[in-house]
Amino acid sequence: MHIPDAVIDDPRVIMATSAIALGGLGFAVSRLKNQLRDKTTVLMGITAAGIFAAQMVNFPLFFFGAPVSGHLLGGMLSAVMLGPWGGACVIATVLIVQCLLCGDGGLSALGANFVNMGLIGSICGYAIYEPLRRAIGGSRGVLIGAMVGAWFSVLLAAGTFTFELAASGRQADFFNVLGWMVLVHAAIGVGEAVITGLVVRYVLSVRPDLIYLPDAAPVAKPIRWSQTGVAGLGIALAVAIFLAPFASEHPDGLEAVGGWFKFIDVSKEVQPAVTPLIPDYQMPGLTRWKGIATAAAGCVGTLVVFGLGMILAGTITRGTPAERGPERVAPDAA
Amino acid sequence: MRLEALDRHAYHNGPLHRADVRIKLCATLAFVIAVVATPVGLWRPLAIEGLLLAFFVGLARIDPALLARRWLGFLLLVAFLGATVAQSHPARTQLGWAVVWLSILAKNSLAFVAVLTLAGTTPFPKLLDGLRRLGMPAVLVSTLHFMNRYTHVLTSELARMTQARRSRTFKRSGRLDWGLLTGLIGNLLVRSFERGERVHAAMLARGWDGTIRTLDGEAEAS
Repeated sequence: MHIPDAVIDDPRVIMATSAIALGGLGFAVSRLKNQLRDKTTVLMGITAAGIFAAQMVNFPLFFFGAPVSGHLLGGMLSAVMLGPWGGACVIATVLIVQCLLCGDGGLSALGANFVNMGLIGSICGYAIYEPLRRAIGGSRGVLIGAMVGAWFSVLLAAGTFTFELAASGRQADFFNVLGWMVLVHAAIGVGEAVITGLVVRYVLSVRPDLIYLPDAAPVAKPIRWSQTGVAGLGIALAVAIFLAPFASEHPDGLEAVGGWFKFIDVSKEVQPAVTPLIPDYQMPGLTRWKGIATAAAGCVGTLVVFGLGMILAGTITRGTPAERGPERVAPDAA
Repeated sequence: MRLEALDRHAYHNGPLHRADVRIKLCATLAFVIAVVATPVGLWRPLAIEGLLLAFFVGLARIDPALLARRWLGFLLLVAFLGATVAQSHPARTQLGWAVVWLSILAKNSLAFVAVLTLAGTTPFPKLLDGLRRLGMPAVLVSTLHFMNRYTHVLTSELARMTQARRSRTFKRSGRLDWGLLTGLIGNLLVRSFERGERVHAAMLARGWDGTIRTLDGEAEAS
């Protein structure tokens, strides 16, 4: 998902995305200053190095027989561990290093990349994670919230990327492309959500104190699991369906989609995750009404991610401190 | 790590190495924007920009084979992405798909080599010093400093952990062993956090006051 140079070539779009990125980063840094202790920069720097290294772990996948591999994006993960502002700053530093040292992601697209992965990935992802975590409560809330947040962060980043492309003079099939991007990334996002969920589960069972909690108060006693679960699911579904109308126009551009589908195929460079699943999502009878198909993909994806989250939450090792929710254990255990 | 050759070259001495970092940063940014904004299908400006870049690469005495290897590594990906983006480019109807595709490739290559030239003539700490003096918030600069110091440590830690895992597990390769791999990532993150806590304690013990000092830069508050 690192946009290289010259893919977005309209100077106005470059300036606009850079301005949004600078503004967002400035705001994140100013919010961070409120919670800044001398430890913050050390932890953020080392977490950034950790995320940078973690992106080198390749997950083996099989895409129609050809071995492909995907890797973690990490926007949601760093937000879960450092909070939204810290997470966004971590992503910003990772992107800057990747751009300036490795040439990965263009210098002129740095702003767009930060908007897609930092602002959308960390901050919007966190905005979805936090209410879910509060609603469900305990380590279960952290896990499910992180997975749903990770899924949406991929979906929203894909939508923003489409918007940026459309803004640089490619409005012709904006709604088509958006529909396809949402469909494909609904599947890719499941990969990111599963990776994020498994990593969060590991951290929860080893060092639950590393999960960022804004209130630092003991986690509220979960109300009724069934009620709150349904409420959280409702929020997630509402967001998914909110996205769908964007895809519902121009239902007859299937030829163009052929070309676009190739384009989408590539843009997921980072995470060609569970692509074989798409045929299931885009139920054949529905392909002509991409709006419905997209909404269906949104619902199915949300349900799948939610279900996976519940399964994972059920397997958190019993008897570990994690069972009682995040709390401080032996800080000097290192 | 694959960056090492370029990284080492950044510590050589030459006219570009001695130039002020801020000038180099701004010039690279201006060059990249100029290249990217060059309209599709205009080859003469691109050729001039290419010559200009070649002159600076020569001045920096970076091994062209090194640049070419890095460039080829990314070329395939950009070619693929460019081919599909060119499909919907506004200029496609007049110029044809191939021209649009080739000019996206050319523009991307020039920008890529320009950024690598900057990286090959400026050690990263100096680059950060330049960014700070250009007004980047101190919090971000210190974070970048720490990240730069520990990237290599954590990358080699990851390599050691991967080796340890592979010597202890006997799974066929290609199977979906996501559980193992995410355990690896989780462990890496927990270890990096714990290392961060230890480093912080050690720095406090040495009298750290929140200011990062480098040998050739001014002090910076965080």
